[in-house]
Amino acid sequence: MPEWVRVAGLDECPPGNLLSVEVRGHRVVLANVDGDIHALQDECSHEDYPLSDGELELTELECIYHGATFDVRTGRALRLPAVKPVRTFQVDLRGSEIFVLLE
Amino acid sequence: MPQHDVVEGLGLDQYKYHFITEDEPVFRSDRGLNEKVVREISAQKGEPEWMLEFRLKALKIYNSKPMPRWGGDLSQLEEVLDQIYYYVRPQEKMERSWDDVPESIKTTFERLGIPEAERKILAGVGAQYESEMVYHSLKEEWERQGVIFDSIEDGLRNHPELFREYFSTVVPPGDNKFAAMNSAVWSGGSFVYIPPGVELETPLQAYFRVNQEQMGQFERTLIIADEGSRAHYIEGCTAPVYSTESFHSGVIEIVIKRGAHFRYTTIQNWSHNMYNLVTQRARVHEDAHMEWLDGNLGSKLTMKYPSCYLVGEGAHGDILSIAYAGDGQHQDTGGKVVHVAPRTTSSIVSKSISKGTGRSSYRGLCKVYEGATHARSNVECDALLINSTSRTDTYPYIEIEERDANVGHEATVSKIGDEQLFYLMSRGMSEEEAMALIVRGFIEPIARELPLEYAVELNRLIELEMEGSVG
Amino acid sequence: MTTATPVIRRPMGTVEGVTGAINRAAVTRLSTEEPSWLRERRLRAWEIYESTPMPTTRLEEWRYTDLSKKLHLDDLKLLVPDVRVLREEEYPDQVRQTMGEDRAASGHLVEVDGAVVHTDLGPELESKGVLLTSLRSALTDHPGLLERLLATEAVPPEEGKFQALNAALWTNGILVFVPKGVDLEIPIRVTRWLSQPSVAHFTRTLIVAETGSRVSYVDEMLSGDFDSQSLMHSTVEVFAGDAAQIQYVALQRMGRGVFHMSTQSTLAHRDSTLDTLNVNLGASVARLDLNARLLGPGANSDLLGLYFGDHDQHFDHCTSQDHVAGHANSDLLYKGSLDGSSRAVFRGVIKVHPGAQRTDAYQTNRNLLLSDQARADSLPNLEIEADDVRCSHGASAGQLDQDALFYLMSRGLSRAQAERLVVMGFLGEVLSRLPLSGVVEKVTHAIEEKLGYA
Repeated sequence: MPEWVRVAGLDECPPGNLLSVEVRGHRVVLANVDGDIHALQDECSHEDYPLSDGELELTELECIYHGATFDVRTGRALRLPAVKPVRTFQVDLRGSEIFVLLE
Repeated sequence: MPQHDVVEGLGLDQYKYHFITEDEPVFRSDRGLNEKVVREISAQKGEPEWMLEFRLKALKIYNSKPMPRWGGDLSQLEEVLDQIYYYVRPQEKMERSWDDVPESIKTTFERLGIPEAERKILAGVGAQYESEMVYHSLKEEWERQGVIFDSIEDGLRNHPELFREYFSTVVPPGDNKFAAMNSAVWSGGSFVYIPPGVELETPLQAYFRVNQEQMGQFERTLIIADEGSRAHYIEGCTAPVYSTESFHSGVIEIVIKRGAHFRYTTIQNWSHNMYNLVTQRARVHEDAHMEWLDGNLGSKLTMKYPSCYLVGEGAHGDILSIAYAGDGQHQDTGGKVVHVAPRTTSSIVSKSISKGTGRSSYRGLCKVYEGATHARSNVECDALLINSTSRTDTYPYIEIEERDANVGHEATVSKIGDEQLFYLMSRGMSEEEAMALIVRGFIEPIARELPLEYAVELNRLIELEMEGSVG
Repeated sequence: MTTATPVIRRPMGTVEGVTGAINRAAVTRLSTEEPSWLRERRLRAWEIYESTPMPTTRLEEWRYTDLSKKLHLDDLKLLVPDVRVLREEEYPDQVRQTMGEDRAASGHLVEVDGAVVHTDLGPELESKGVLLTSLRSALTDHPGLLERLLATEAVPPEEGKFQALNAALWTNGILVFVPKGVDLEIPIRVTRWLSQPSVAHFTRTLIVAETGSRVSYVDEMLSGDFDSQSLMHSTVEVFAGDAAQIQYVALQRMGRGVFHMSTQSTLAHRDSTLDTLNVNLGASVARLDLNARLLGPGANSDLLGLYFGDHDQHFDHCTSQDHVAGHANSDLLYKGSLDGSSRAVFRGVIKVHPGAQRTDAYQTNRNLLLSDQARADSLPNLEIEADDVRCSHGASAGQLDQDALFYLMSRGLSRAQAERLVVMGFLGEVLSRLPLSGVVEKVTHAIEEKLGYA
């Protein structure tokens, strides 16, 4: 059963930033787009490198390793060399705490 | 007669185009690559702000990426990169007719051997001389059909929305170090758009020419073949020989939309001091068909792996690659096919010849993602070795995530067989003739794919010269 | 955010792979009563281990096996071999069962949790000077042979991080020595059993066949299923003298939860035949590094491999056919079928060194995918630096041959029966190339078990 798990405080991931967290065996990258938090699997669908090393520009997360770009809201791949989406997780902001729905 | 002498007689490795034309560039950037140079290039071109930002970000990515440690020997490259000019523009304006083309450039083309008659026949010629398109023409009926065949700079200027929608979506700057470098300093290249349903019978041709000592060339080409269209683009390169190393790093992005059919041909015959590091990639949509025809004969080191990303159902990719590595040359070439959608099919055929101390390496990827049901892919590599000092390698990566896929890879390495030679000689041929026949037979499957009117580069360099050497 | 060159993330101040159990003190402890050459060799190997970074997927050889996810070194204790000798009725059931199938043999050796609990060898062979013994005993009885060949020429610690670790921490192993001209007509059979979870077990095998001798050797590795990981690391060094014939077979049938790593190096001298068969059926993760060196003209090596993965099993095969001398042959055939979400990697290279003219070398890897989640990666490489050679490789991946299935079903077989037959036929090609008595039946049976047939 998936459960809501606190993964970080909001202050750890200010707007325009990425934060990598490891919870329950999941590597998750949090992306703060103007106060909205999105959570994706921290693994590029191209060659499994951590997306959290990349850059966030508005809603686009660019993988630093080969330039693949994803929409952090949907996980959709926007540019080659990535062709597959990245898994996303549900996020709940409870006050200044970030919760993610995880198995 | 020792075999290497015979092949010497084939004339394959004699660099024929060793000449320099005198002319004065209008603008030349400082040596080396830095932010100032990037800003100058962008300002010279009068680019929109977003492109300057794109270039500067690419420069940052370039600086952050280590030199590749695979492929060819790049240990001497850093020194080369500090010495070259990243931008040279020979002329102020685009030429609209052949008469306006400066005499020195005409001379260059003549010496390259483009026959007068063929120039007339050739439908559109975008010739890149140094860093800028200097000559560009397009048949009238094509213009009426809405075909765009511009310099990449004009593409950005005249079709900003179309340009921005596709630019760098196929090869982002972060893809690899040299894609990042190209993204920072690109200059010259073509912008092509084929509207839906338009079929071009005569190929679009662009000649690329590097003629400035120690000048890097960073052509960037963006091609969009809209739904149901059909076209063939040909790029050929030659460069004069200089004693110092030279460098070429292009990025070719192609988008083939539903049902379209596109072929991209390169015949590369850079001089033997050239580093040729190119990223060529096509995104192929539903039922579309992409063909790369890639001939690598020149350069000191070429690293180039044309790719097809088969993202739409029923998409097809073909890669036909031929490499010739003579003394001191390393051709590290191959192809990549990435199957993303169901019923996608692909084929890679690679042929290489290594002679003297030459080395040819095939490097390829065949990837089938989960969900690409009924994907089919076949890869065949043949390597021919001429001398005991020659070297060949085969490095295929085959990654299969889908049960319902059928993928095969076969490679063979051989020398010219004594039995074959003996047989042909018993039929009355000299050893020389027999050797030539075998080499020609070896590359024939690729040579025959070239259009007849494209008798300039490969026909000249391989078929005619080899035939001339016989008898 | 930064675009700086990415670095491997690691806690500051720790050395990768050095843990509460795996450390220099453990090496020192192990070697207190050993001859000084061995102690020095272990310590040097340890230094290499410490100074070699843990392989990551950024290394080509480890591209498809992510040790940071698959290997839990921190949780492992070192296996302490039990020194008592077991009576046969005390053997684990699986060992007794497999030995029952192995009665016909030139000799037997049984290892339980790292301790050699039984050896037998025909008295005639013994009188001819054949050795089948534990490395521990050999240290006392034949130290010269070990000093010369153990972790020197075949698998020196410089080969890699885990090769170094094994050379530093091996506890026991097996020596087979066949003197000049002695012919062992039937195989030597070795059975090993690991019963403990959460342990790291480092073992070595040394096989030496002198000029003109012949030996076949079957090493079967078994264990229970574990909830927490155990690592078995095995280093195998095989020397074939001029015109010697060796067949080496490894049957890996360990339980779930085991990470099995094997580094094998075979050295084939003039006119020798040195064939290997690696069968990977068990363990959760199995990694094989096999280096076949052709060192003299007329040498011949067949490299055979067979694997069958199911559930989330992960097999990674890394082979090289190293043609140092000319006029030698090698032929590799690795075939596997993959069910469940299992994954197999094959990376093989044929390397023809400059001057190794008249080399014939072939390499084939074929994968049969039985499920949608299974995955196969194949990288058959060639590096050829001589021109007068015949080399080729092939790789393929695909599903069951539908025509064959249809044909069998039209002959009255159920779909499941037909599928089993086609899989067996596909894999059977490998076994038919090394038809060692007992091995074919045993492997066939084990595969049928995995297919849910037996």
